[in-house]
Amino acid sequence: MKNLIKIGVLVVIAGSLWFYIKSKQAPHIAQEKVLLTVSNAQIQGLDPIRVRDNYTVNEATKVYEGLLAYHYLKRPFELIPNLAASMPTVSSDQLVYTFTLCEGVKFHDNPCFPDGKGRELTAHDFVYAFKRLADPKLQSLNFWLVDSKIKGLNEWRQRYIDAANVDYTEDIPGLQAIDRYTLRFTLTKPYPQFLYALTMVPCYAVAREAVQYYGAEFMNHPVGTGPFMVAAFNPLDTKIVYHKNPTFRDKYFPSEAAQEYKHMLVDAGKKLPFVDKIVTHILSEEQPRWLKFKKGQVDIIDISRDNIALEVIQDNKLIPALQKKGAQLFSALEIGTNFIVFNNAHPLFKDNLKLRQAMSMAFNGPKYNKLFYQGAAMLAQSILPPGLAGYRADYVNPYRTYNLGKAKQYLAEAGYPQGKGLPVLTLEVVTNSTARQKGEFFQKCMQAIGIKIKLVENIFPELVKKIQTEATMLHAITWTVEYPDAENFFQLLYGPKQPGGVGANYDESASMPCMKKQWVCQIHLLGRSYMSDSTKWQQKVHPSFIYFTNPLQPFTKDGSKMLLLQTVLVA
Amino acid sequence: MNQASVQSIWIQAFLSLLKSKLTLASLVIVVSYSLLALLAHAGIIASNWNLDIGASYEPPSAIHWFGTDIFGRSVVTKIIKSTEVAMYVGFIVSIIAISIGVLLGAIAGYFGGIVDELIVWFYSTLAAIPNIMLLISLTFILGKGILAVYVALGMTNWIELCRLIRGEVIRHKDKEYIQAATALGASHWRKLVKHILPNIMHIVIIQFSAIFQIAIKSEVILSYLGLGVQNSPSWGIMINDARVELMRGVWWQLVFASIAMFLIVLAFNNLSDSLRDALDPKLRGK
Amino acid sequence: MSFMSLYSYIIRRLSYIIPILVGVCLLIFFIFNIVAGDPTIILLGKHANPRQMAELRHELGLDRHWFIQYLDILKSAFTFDFGRSWATKQHIAPMLKLGTWVSLTLVIPAFVVTSILAISTALLAAFFRGRLIDKGLVVLTVIMMSISILVYILFGQWIFAYKLGWFEIAGYEYGFPDFIPYIILPAMILVLVNLGSDVRFYRTVFLDEMYQDYVRTARAKGLSERAVLFKHVLKNAMAPIITNLVIQIPAWLLGTLLVESFFGIPGLGGITLNAINNSDFPVIKAITILSAVSYVIFSVITDVLYTLVDPRIKLS
Repeated sequence: MKNLIKIGVLVVIAGSLWFYIKSKQAPHIAQEKVLLTVSNAQIQGLDPIRVRDNYTVNEATKVYEGLLAYHYLKRPFELIPNLAASMPTVSSDQLVYTFTLCEGVKFHDNPCFPDGKGRELTAHDFVYAFKRLADPKLQSLNFWLVDSKIKGLNEWRQRYIDAANVDYTEDIPGLQAIDRYTLRFTLTKPYPQFLYALTMVPCYAVAREAVQYYGAEFMNHPVGTGPFMVAAFNPLDTKIVYHKNPTFRDKYFPSEAAQEYKHMLVDAGKKLPFVDKIVTHILSEEQPRWLKFKKGQVDIIDISRDNIALEVIQDNKLIPALQKKGAQLFSALEIGTNFIVFNNAHPLFKDNLKLRQAMSMAFNGPKYNKLFYQGAAMLAQSILPPGLAGYRADYVNPYRTYNLGKAKQYLAEAGYPQGKGLPVLTLEVVTNSTARQKGEFFQKCMQAIGIKIKLVENIFPELVKKIQTEATMLHAITWTVEYPDAENFFQLLYGPKQPGGVGANYDESASMPCMKKQWVCQIHLLGRSYMSDSTKWQQKVHPSFIYFTNPLQPFTKDGSKMLLLQTVLVA
Repeated sequence: MNQASVQSIWIQAFLSLLKSKLTLASLVIVVSYSLLALLAHAGIIASNWNLDIGASYEPPSAIHWFGTDIFGRSVVTKIIKSTEVAMYVGFIVSIIAISIGVLLGAIAGYFGGIVDELIVWFYSTLAAIPNIMLLISLTFILGKGILAVYVALGMTNWIELCRLIRGEVIRHKDKEYIQAATALGASHWRKLVKHILPNIMHIVIIQFSAIFQIAIKSEVILSYLGLGVQNSPSWGIMINDARVELMRGVWWQLVFASIAMFLIVLAFNNLSDSLRDALDPKLRGK
Repeated sequence: MSFMSLYSYIIRRLSYIIPILVGVCLLIFFIFNIVAGDPTIILLGKHANPRQMAELRHELGLDRHWFIQYLDILKSAFTFDFGRSWATKQHIAPMLKLGTWVSLTLVIPAFVVTSILAISTALLAAFFRGRLIDKGLVVLTVIMMSISILVYILFGQWIFAYKLGWFEIAGYEYGFPDFIPYIILPAMILVLVNLGSDVRFYRTVFLDEMYQDYVRTARAKGLSERAVLFKHVLKNAMAPIITNLVIQIPAWLLGTLLVESFFGIPGLGGITLNAINNSDFPVIKAITILSAVSYVIFSVITDVLYTLVDPRIKLS
């Protein structure tokens, strides 16, 4: 009897706790507009000089801004001034870039400033930001962006490598704040991608006061000039909350657009940002992300490039069930290529062009597209994806078309009829289900002509290491564009440090196409020599990068509005 | 206790095992799985697991009993092939773990002194390190692939057995029959192998089935970390694929792989329980 | 036993931690500083060039003499100053502290529920030994532990959190009682997975006790079966049970790896997984050392508790 009473009391307590918690969860009518998003990976802190991966970039660009950005709606991509008032004046020798900054741009209100009020952005802030990028003690892994490119910067860095403290007051000839709003860069040699580098997060403006106030914790207390602010942030958190920046400068939704985005101009001229709060959940597993989206706990989600064939798309459109709920599909061709690389330093591939071509032709592209992308991707003919100048839509790579007969013939000509005599080849892939399945697909294709492939899974750092040390035979990798220049793709294949890189033939002048006028021809030259006679890479697809929007809140009847927002911030 | 009485205890134990229906069923399961594994290894069945026999992701039907996977491969065949992988993993890992555990435990318990101290220090150190870390670390050394899986799992599962063996050897070391053997001039080796070990075999048998099922379950976690079996289907891979497949409504790989794994793990758990009940001298006669 | 002998026993056992820690550090050093190779390639990624790699190696202290590097590791084991994470540049010690608190909010309820359920179930099984209930309970718990935790997570999240909406799908809020809705489902999964082995063990312990002479005497004296169970058997079985309970605690904290990853809980398991995927050696080393330290300390606590609870055991 006593036990029954004890149990009864427990039940009552448990029950009341339950109801209490449930009541707290009851959705209150939001006075503010909140955008709920997800990130697929842990954010590595919000210090601009440390930001390297796509997910952290997405978060950092909500808070920080740079000199230049890309026009949100125009294609091909066009650089526009962001914190700069206008595009820079460039000297005739292409070495000096002079920027005039916008006036009246304020940093976020933050306790690190006197009175807690954010102060105005000046040219000195950019000088400071670049010094931090080069600071040897901070070990920024993004230093390559400006390595050996800005006059005096490398020398400054060298001086303090073994010193106890780095002197930031030292003047660097290539990094000058002429006056409050004028910034001048002097390069060591022409660097046509310099402006693109300026759009990348490591080159964004930071406030010296914040760095000094927060010290080592600066990465958890971002203070920028962007449309959103974060009160405090812990990289371990599985949730980040952003609030609208009340002192954000006047910035408006663009009024021009490329043809395919003209429908977004309904919001032209409206003041940014549109929402008051953004909550980003960090979930590394696919299942919880999608379950939350389907339940409406997440407004916007992208179909990760690795799992693009989820049953939510049919013929490039949303399935009716989701359409009924009000979700919308937004798709754009990702400027990226998914490909398999032959290590040309390996004796098997080194001089055996026919072998590589045979394998390339044995790959069943259309089936691959159907299986892994529901046909939504585009078969790549070269490593260059559409959207970049230099891309030729009419080019059809003769060794790219699926032709089993020809593949077998070439294999025999390569010295391995029906694959006899060829040892087992290894294909390195990243550790995840889809990458492995894609690898298995490749295995099956090769099996059809008699070549045996062994798959090896690696966590990403391991794969990178193997690639760097040329310890691979074949490896599968995806490359997304960092800046809109074809060089960004070609440098993957041609250069002193690429696996089997044409090291001996590496020509310094050819690797960095210099003049804007000239480089288009250069790329074609480079491209043509690769495309026609060597299948050094085996391109697969340009996956579509698809966004979902799930507008459950009244203010968003056009879900793409929210997508827009995010991309504006991402520049 | 001499050889004869040890043997009769074994026979008794085996007979009592057969009495319980549950244990009988477990035995049948273990035997059938082993048979499937051997047949698959010899290539008599499931050698065509990589063949696409249907459309991608077909649900279970009369033609494809367990459905098909992303390439249209038969899930039934994949499961049978995975059985081979699992049984081999379980068996080899157990053998490795038992070899190390018995060897070190016997030496430590028998010789005592500094040898004992060293061995105890060694396994205490290893035991203090969480299994996951050990597994990751071992793959640095061993690389990837099935051999690495065998060794890594073997290295992380011998400690319990070692402790038990050591304890038992210490207990038996000073018993009368050993003293008698010493008086008769028996060497260390003879005493260990011919006299002590038979009396502790029951521990080994029980641990064998325990380690077997731990190894099979661990393979799933190894696959999650990307350290598992490569180039062959396995239950771990099929269950891990479900992390993205389930969202597409593809449940059959997950369900059937789980059932297949669960049956053999259950069987081994049951067997080890029954064996312990039958062989453990403390519990005998209940 | 006297206080002094207990005290000296504790001191002796605690001092045994030192050789273990030395061994653990040695192993860690061997694996991460020697076998694992040069991490600068991994860290610098695709932009690695020999000059930067050398600079980074210098900054990380990887070009110092091996003995100094080993001493560093050893020192960190005692000072708990593990330096900074390579991935996020955070100080590792406070990071782990926060992660541990979060994991505890998940692990403690799961652990408590598992222990209570396991003991009760084992008692029930022992009480009805040999009968259907006994067999049924044992089979049930063994079935539960034969299913991989990944299966529980996948199905559990999909059915109970999503389809039925009884629990949160994923996420976490700091502070009591805000975290409660987020840990219920993951805690339940942990209970289901760990119940089986405990029940089997406790049942054996209870049965062992029940076949002792004093139990037969008590029964002969006319005590009811229930009284025998609760007054005698349970009390005497407490020693091995408590031993088993306490030694599990360090293992529980790290066993949450998968659960935390799927349910978005920012605890120790999540930190470990991220560190592994980022090749973040300092964090991996730190977690390994901390686990080793806690394992050894809990072993000592277990031993001491055992002797305190069971007067029959002598301190040796």
